[in-house]
Amino acid sequence: MRIRKLLSLGLASTMLASIALTGCGDETSSKEEEKGSVYYLNFKPEADEAWQAIAKDYTKETGIEVKVVTAANNTYEQILSNEIEATDAPTLFQINGPVGYANWSDYCYDLKDTDLYSWLLDKSLAIEGEDGGVYGIPYVVEGYGIIYNDAIMSKYFALDDAKAKSMDEVNNFDTLKAVVEDMQARKADLGIDGVFGSTSLKKGEDWRWQTHLANLPVYYEYKEKNVSILKELDFSFGDNYKNIFDLYINNSCTEPTLLGSKTVNDSMSEFALGQVAMIQNGNWGWGGISEVEGNVVKEEDVKFLPIYTGAAGEENQGLCTGTENFFCINKEADQKDIDATIDFVEWVFSSAKGKDAVTNTLGFISPFNTFSDAESPQDPLAKEVLRYMADSTKTSVSWNFTTFPSQKFKDDFGAVLLGYAAGTSTWDDVKTLVVDEWASEWAANDAN
Amino acid sequence: MSTKKKIKNIIVFILLLFLAIAFLYPIFFVVINSFKGKLFISDAPFALPTSETFVKFNNYVMGIEKTGFFNAMKWSLIITVCSVLLIIIFTSMTAYWITRVKGKFSNILYYLFVFSMIVPFQMVMYTMTQLADRMHIRNPAGMILLYLGFGAGLSVFMFCGFVKSVPIEIEEAAMIDGCNPLQTFFKVVFPILKPTAITVAILNAMWIWNDYLLPYLIIGFSDYQTIPVRVQYLVGSYGNFDMGIMMAVLVLSILPIIIFYTFCQKFIIEGVVAGAVKG
Amino acid sequence: MQKTTKKYFPIFVLPTLIAFFIAFVIPFFWGVYLSFCKFKTIKKAEFVGFDNYIAAFKNDNFVNSFKFTVIFAIVAVIVINVAAFTLAVLLTQKVKGTNLFRTVFFMPNLIGGIVLGYIWNSIFNSILKSYSTTIANDAKYGFWGLIILMSWQLIGYMMIIYIAGLQNVPTDLKEAAQIDGASRWQQLRKITIPMVMPSITICLFLSVSNCFKLFDQNLSLTGGAPQRKTAMLALDIFDTFYGNNTSKGIGQAKAVLFFLLVGIIALTQLFFTRRKEVEQ
Repeated sequence: MRIRKLLSLGLASTMLASIALTGCGDETSSKEEEKGSVYYLNFKPEADEAWQAIAKDYTKETGIEVKVVTAANNTYEQILSNEIEATDAPTLFQINGPVGYANWSDYCYDLKDTDLYSWLLDKSLAIEGEDGGVYGIPYVVEGYGIIYNDAIMSKYFALDDAKAKSMDEVNNFDTLKAVVEDMQARKADLGIDGVFGSTSLKKGEDWRWQTHLANLPVYYEYKEKNVSILKELDFSFGDNYKNIFDLYINNSCTEPTLLGSKTVNDSMSEFALGQVAMIQNGNWGWGGISEVEGNVVKEEDVKFLPIYTGAAGEENQGLCTGTENFFCINKEADQKDIDATIDFVEWVFSSAKGKDAVTNTLGFISPFNTFSDAESPQDPLAKEVLRYMADSTKTSVSWNFTTFPSQKFKDDFGAVLLGYAAGTSTWDDVKTLVVDEWASEWAANDAN
Repeated sequence: MSTKKKIKNIIVFILLLFLAIAFLYPIFFVVINSFKGKLFISDAPFALPTSETFVKFNNYVMGIEKTGFFNAMKWSLIITVCSVLLIIIFTSMTAYWITRVKGKFSNILYYLFVFSMIVPFQMVMYTMTQLADRMHIRNPAGMILLYLGFGAGLSVFMFCGFVKSVPIEIEEAAMIDGCNPLQTFFKVVFPILKPTAITVAILNAMWIWNDYLLPYLIIGFSDYQTIPVRVQYLVGSYGNFDMGIMMAVLVLSILPIIIFYTFCQKFIIEGVVAGAVKG
Repeated sequence: MQKTTKKYFPIFVLPTLIAFFIAFVIPFFWGVYLSFCKFKTIKKAEFVGFDNYIAAFKNDNFVNSFKFTVIFAIVAVIVINVAAFTLAVLLTQKVKGTNLFRTVFFMPNLIGGIVLGYIWNSIFNSILKSYSTTIANDAKYGFWGLIILMSWQLIGYMMIIYIAGLQNVPTDLKEAAQIDGASRWQQLRKITIPMVMPSITICLFLSVSNCFKLFDQNLSLTGGAPQRKTAMLALDIFDTFYGNNTSKGIGQAKAVLFFLLVGIIALTQLFFTRRKEVEQ
């Protein structure tokens, strides 16, 4: 009897104590840690392992706790909006440019006096607030285009009556189309299943099309109108988008109707296994090629081609280079955590160990002067990006998708592209959606 | 009549057998594919593994490694077991008090608990997450507390229904023997409540073990992820997940339930019937 | 005795009550309040009256998900209950292996919605692949996929409730009817169905409420694809909350509307069960 009574009383009090303890437990422990800690909400799923390793190294060296959480594709805004309000909110997060800054400005700490900002090679890349403060610092420069397998291309160029004799001739959409369609017709001779890898349109896997490829028509429209942002888009280069998108989905190893089940990784594997000759992606995708089991593509055969869409003057077009990755530090965090975070980021981009991880594990082309020329990534895609950037005859396409109104716009754009590929939506549906939702999402942004 | 009945029984038996195979097929499908290499899953999903496609337990080894499966299972177990224990002890006590102490306050409490049963989770998910965050309970202990709170509605309701049928005379006798209410409850009433307690335990265990949204919101970004959260995090969001590994992880996550079910199916089925009829 | 027990309130009730307030009561009222506010973050909530509700009604996604949910619930409830009842009748015929069959049919009910969704997602995509399509291409596939999935999960559950009901039908009543020359169909209509009416009511409302609140299965099977056409109410609310950080107030308003809808269904249930009880 006594025991029972004690037991139940014990349980009741344990339970009450646990409420109380969980409450104060965290506080006391964080008070003891005067050092502060870092919580990084990482945007790049492909870089998750690398960041975890960097965090571990840093903790080993300094004793400062670094927590890295990675958001899955297309869910960064969702997780950030859930986590930023938490008491243990991320201290380090990222925004994708001016639109991101407008959304998150309440949480951005002024980084003007940090060493990190002083190291930035091109200060105009940073995101400045109206008060002149610096609220976002780009930490990586990236480029994307059409990645091709030079070995397969050479094989094609050697065929009788090939539509072109070398990659140099492929410098506009018409030639690209002629070559691609001819290759697709002779895919058996070339030993491939299709020219392009799968145009992955699975939910969450469609960012190569609704963001990166969509940059080109927007870039040309901005250029034509001589503006840097539009709240209402005419999508006047929509047909150019259709040109290249049709080429992708109709000359692929996968039937257009099956694209809704394909992932980015699927198409990277197809390329790595030599089943296809081309895929659209950026230099961050090297790991996705090199780490595939049974990879048959030689490093020296992996090259970049600009994305041609049939726009006037595209012969001089280079790769799409820029950044949508700006570090921000959470203003609402404790000062000691803010300081710890700044120290962490500066360590990553200036210490020998940090820089080594940045160049070789993350494969980043860094926009900071702490990196010497020799300290640039050695993978073939990054080298290609650097080559195009150095080539004065080519004009890089800037990243204008940082002015896309919202994640919702991108998601819905991707969904209608899937409908178009599957044959349930028409091209007019795509155009209407882009024009209407661009305007309505911008209106919604401005209303807030 | 009897031969006719026999023939009829055989037909029914064959029909049921056919249906049972159809019901088991999805699980069979996942199991066979969990032993194939990922390329073969998309090529011939319905074929049995052959010497060419068979990859032994590779998918399982990789799956356990990549998902940290045992860690997720550990937290799933801890959270489920502790929550269910607390729910049974505390809600049966609450139900006893509400039923035995008559008055306006008891009535209000009772209806508040019943009311909570019909409110969909989406109604409170955001504010609950905010509150939990401010109280610093985004951890397993907090999860257990929240499950006690969310499970209280149905559990109190079911216990109340049963306490009413416990004859008050035995309790009075116990009291006269010098037991205080707590002793009376645990010595006399709780043993009578046992069948209901089993039902409540099963219903809550099934719910908590499989729950996704609450743990996702509360501990989804920590090291305490439970199995459903882990599965969704890895399979759902990262499209770059290997199909073979995904199949292995799916098998691993249903395995504990099937084992548990095989041993306790009588209780589970009875519990669910009782729960449905009373709830 | 009541008085002594009453004094034990802190031990008997308080622990549950504290948890209940944290998990439910406070969030509920806070949620109702926030549905009238516009906020990016909760600290900066600003009262805006019914704006969120108006926005919710104007929102195509919400209206579509409402329609989809209702149609889905109607079809699923009919399919599940007819199938479950038939199975229950078959399983009460005293054929060999009844227990084993019952065990098998009930099993899918124990598997969680997320895992279930991924199992069926891979099966459907494997089948549809031979027709050069995927479940994400057409809302029809998603709809029937969800129906099949939910049938698989719930038939066994409803079946055992029907079995319990059928076992309550006294055999002498049936025998008497048989002697009176009632056909099998007449027996079913005049004796069995009226006797298992309580089970039917329970099953109907259990399946309705399960279908209306469906979230996990919806998330993992289709995720709303294509173009949010297969997103049900619970998923739409979740996406409104966390899809971007400007529409949380609207999400909360949608949640309140969802709650009212589910509440009305539950009240109807209460009304019907009470009436049935009176009739008996």
